[in-house]
Amino acid sequence: MPREIIKIPSALGFSNVEEVRHQITKLISAESPQEFILDFAEVESIDTAGVALIDYLNEFAPRFGTEITLTNVSKKISSAMDVFHLKKVFTPEKKEPPGFFEKTGDLFYKLKNSVGDILILLSNITYWSGLSIVRPKLRRKGEVIHQSILIGVNAFPIIALIAFLIGFILALQSAAQLRQFGANIYVADLVAIAMVSEMGPLITAIMVAGRSGSAIAAEIATMVVTEEIDALKVMGIDPAPYLVVPKVMAMSLVMPMLTIFANFIGIIGGMVIAITYLDLDILPFFNEVMSVLRYKELVTSIVKSLTFAFIIAVTAAYFGQKVKGGAEGVGKSTTSAVVFSIFFVIVADSILGLLFYFGETTF
Amino acid sequence: MNLPVIEIRNLKSAYGDQLVLQEVNLQIPANEITAILGTSGCGKTTLLKHMIGLLKPLEGEIQILGKSILELDENELNDVLKKAGVLFQSGALLNSISLADNIAIPLEQHTNLSKDMIEFIIKQKLELVGLSHAYHYLPGELSGGMRKRAALARAIALDPVILFADEPGAGLDPVTAASLDQLLLSLKEKLGMTLVMVTHETASIKRIADRIIYLGKNRVLFSGTLREALESDIPALITFFNSDSSQKSKA
Ligand SMILES: Nc1ncnc2c1ncn2[C@@H]1O[C@H](COP(=O)(O)OP(=O)(O)OP(=O)(O)O)[C@@H](O)[C@H]1O
Ligand SMILES: [Mg+2]
Repeated sequence: MPREIIKIPSALGFSNVEEVRHQITKLISAESPQEFILDFAEVESIDTAGVALIDYLNEFAPRFGTEITLTNVSKKISSAMDVFHLKKVFTPEKKEPPGFFEKTGDLFYKLKNSVGDILILLSNITYWSGLSIVRPKLRRKGEVIHQSILIGVNAFPIIALIAFLIGFILALQSAAQLRQFGANIYVADLVAIAMVSEMGPLITAIMVAGRSGSAIAAEIATMVVTEEIDALKVMGIDPAPYLVVPKVMAMSLVMPMLTIFANFIGIIGGMVIAITYLDLDILPFFNEVMSVLRYKELVTSIVKSLTFAFIIAVTAAYFGQKVKGGAEGVGKSTTSAVVFSIFFVIVADSILGLLFYFGETTF
Repeated sequence: MNLPVIEIRNLKSAYGDQLVLQEVNLQIPANEITAILGTSGCGKTTLLKHMIGLLKPLEGEIQILGKSILELDENELNDVLKKAGVLFQSGALLNSISLADNIAIPLEQHTNLSKDMIEFIIKQKLELVGLSHAYHYLPGELSGGMRKRAALARAIALDPVILFADEPGAGLDPVTAASLDQLLLSLKEKLGMTLVMVTHETASIKRIADRIIYLGKNRVLFSGTLREALESDIPALITFFNSDSSQKSKA
């Protein structure tokens, strides 16, 4: 078929452009006409999306050997179309002087109302976390995985080192005492329980707060300073689900894994002392570890690590979005984020410790 | 004067204890370019952020397109903001994603267009601001002026009814600044947009502005047409228009 003609509706734009595109591409791919005429006689208005459609068709049609022609384009429409193709006036590839830092303002923090703000943020995040599980469109693609890698994978070596040393020291400090009573084997109990229900979750949380809590606070604070958060709001995007929720999710995913890993390495650290200083063998040591670790210790470990994950992510986000001033303010809020999240972690650790201690009978 | 699209009555604004604006009354007419002038730190950006509901005033009333934005809930405000494009003073591109992805945000958020069409719109807008080669660039890989232009591309992606621009020409060389003016002018003339811009560039103001609002001493010191501003005997305005724009402009 040599030619095909289609009448374009009176307003071509965002609201109907997909419909028109389907109609036209279907005809072109089915019939491959030599010429495809878009009749603009009735068109009274065109916008960005309408012009994008014409650009699109000019690229799409040649694949089928079809040429696109526009007819009856009014003056008004053609001048509107020109606006979208002003390309010639800008000379591309140009070097301009670099941007400037926003001026720095007040640099102190008022912590009044903080508790209220944190609670609001907390409820927001919980709400959005729930919602974004149901409605994946709210999430940024691949963001949770990306964040998990940032938070988790790179933290393994340093956490391994610290956990090893802590297990080592725990065993070393108690070795002399245990030895006096000939209770050498109990070093396994001591290290296992202390690592799994206390030190593992705690040192992991402290390391993650230092590495990732600070990074999250700095990222969000920078986004506030550079007006990126404002820009998101203006474009109708709620910053909480967009930025914070993926981080909370990643943190909750990764922290338990890191904690279990730290527990394991810490016990190995204790084992080194047990073998070299207390003359124990690997097998009895491990048997003792397995016999003393119950359900309860593992649950404690996981519950703690999840709680700490939440605390670190939320505290970091809170101090990040509370930033005042420019680049300097970013540094300040990062510091506050780390200090306060470690503080909150230790407070939560005490509370959970008491709960698990007195809740003994339930397990 | 055309019908106003923005009306502000008796606005009073402060950050903490620091008063920034008071007794601000103004109207921004449709389909005109209104330039907001004033010395650095006098509250231009603050005023702009009030107009789009990012800041809440201590007192006063703000209407955009006939809606009192202070009385709207979040969803209603978003509906109004769909019709507004905002170019922030620092550009405010999201730094972790490419230019193309930045421009895609409002399109994905507010329309049901397919990926294909969104891609063509992104190309169109980047071409318009002379950045078609930078499609895959991260904002950090651009110069300050390029970032500003990319942010402009994002601000006009949805053909807003009102375009708010905080120092669109800052950091541009005279040649690029002139083409930016031409673009802004044609947005007004051919697409019927209303433009509200903060700017220090006297040359550009004389070329394209229809109205001037001059802020100083926490108030509106002058509000009127460009011609009235040029003929005004307010000392600050005389100094402003007689000094060289290249010295006034901040990079
Ligand atoms: N987030 C903020 N917190 C506290 N004070 C602020 C904040 N933003 C601005 N200010 C203060 O408000 C006043 C007005 O700031 P604004 O950013 O509106 O000025 P401006 O007229 O846009 O200046 P410039 O031309 O330098 O961009 C300044 O004195 C500034 O110190
Ligand atoms: Mg400003």
